[in-house]
Amino acid sequence: MGIIEKAVNWGRIKSPWILHFNTGACNACDIEILAALTPRYDLERFGVQLKGTPRHADVLICSGPVTGQVACRLKRVYEQMPEPKFVVVVGTCACSGGVFDGCYNVKSGIDAVIPVSAYIPGCPASPMAIIDGVAKLLGSLEAKEAKQ
Amino acid sequence: MAHLALSLFYILVFPGLLFLSVFGLAAEYVDRKLYARMQNRMGPPWFQPLADLLKLFGKEDVVPEESNPQIFRLMPVIALTAAVSAFFYIPLWDKNALFAFNGDLIVVLYLLTIPTLTFFLGGWYSTSLYAKIGSVRSVTQLFAYEIPLFMSILSTALLANTWSLSEMTAFYGKNPVYIPVNIVSFFIALIALLGKLEKVPFDIPEAETEIVAGTFTEYSGRLLGFFRLAIDIEAVVGASLLAAVYLPFGLSLPPAFGFLFYVVKVLFMIGLLALLRSVFARLRIDQMVNFCWRYLAPVAFLQLLVTLAVKGVFLR
Repeated sequence: MGIIEKAVNWGRIKSPWILHFNTGACNACDIEILAALTPRYDLERFGVQLKGTPRHADVLICSGPVTGQVACRLKRVYEQMPEPKFVVVVGTCACSGGVFDGCYNVKSGIDAVIPVSAYIPGCPASPMAIIDGVAKLLGSLEAKEAKQ
Repeated sequence: MAHLALSLFYILVFPGLLFLSVFGLAAEYVDRKLYARMQNRMGPPWFQPLADLLKLFGKEDVVPEESNPQIFRLMPVIALTAAVSAFFYIPLWDKNALFAFNGDLIVVLYLLTIPTLTFFLGGWYSTSLYAKIGSVRSVTQLFAYEIPLFMSILSTALLANTWSLSEMTAFYGKNPVYIPVNIVSFFIALIALLGKLEKVPFDIPEAETEIVAGTFTEYSGRLLGFFRLAIDIEAVVGASLLAAVYLPFGLSLPPAFGFLFYVVKVLFMIGLLALLRSVFARLRIDQMVNFCWRYLAPVAFLQLLVTLAVKGVFLR
């Protein structure tokens, strides 16, 4: 791997910008995601910044089971993000559909619609668990880079 | 040939593009760290702006199908070029700027306006609704802060009786008594600079809680990276301009000390901007225009009258 590629990979690991998307959650996981972004946990230490537009984001953070109405929107938001992109799902519902799995209006977990890189279970997942999940995703990227 | 090579070195390496990029990223780090510390946070590590930039340069650029691809791709580069070229006419750690002529003050102010116009054109031609709203707001804002900024710089130029930045700093270096005369216009220029850099009380064009990311909504990857670098460099150039006009001290020191002194002056300006940014909340566009025309412009005009009076009495 060339030095330029190495530098870009380093930048990618050190500066994940996130986009938060609610795919039908009860709001509990969203509150915990926002709590993780507050000064108390200060995710900017790891270079994480919350962005408003999918064009700026590297990591899509989803919460909640995919409802029938939001599925096509979720796909569109995912497709609007520039490559390389990752998806982190927060909460049991987002991982597998949770208690809503099998409902007439719900399409199970996020991975039924778009590919997912990291699953963070919990009902709701605590801010510490979310930070741990994101750190593990970044760590796995680093390990992948070391192997190449 | 040697002259050409030296000029190219000045433009591309020091104190041109390379130095400015490094200094701009460092200034962004100082700004973000101070902002974080004032919010009782740890803040980003020192390499954060560099990591952001490298990541953006390595990402895919998405060009929207309905946008005008030439203008969409060209605007970030023009913004960067304009910000860098404004730097050469400002006296930094020497009495003379790298390139100086009578009237370079106007050229610098004009070059510092171009990035805002490129934000407008880039946002407008990306045809996203949010980008269009943001770009119209950035031009509306331009008309509000530009006049007070020009008037406050004009009052310092009037007192020094020259249109050249180098001669202005030479004048104030020789007669430091006249620096406090323009103290009010310094604060006006600082507030106007916040508007020019679209920082917090005036970040209305990219208000992320209402219009997604404003002008830059459709920009991604390398093009966004160029825009971010242009804004960082514009911050450094704006801070150097204010430092050269309002704090023209230490210009006759030996080069190494003069350079250190210059860096301290610019970081002081960046610190002031960060302080203002963390103290205030975002205004609405109508409040911003109202504030600039009702308070900032009349005060700048009064400053102009005071300067003229001082000039008439003491400097005949």
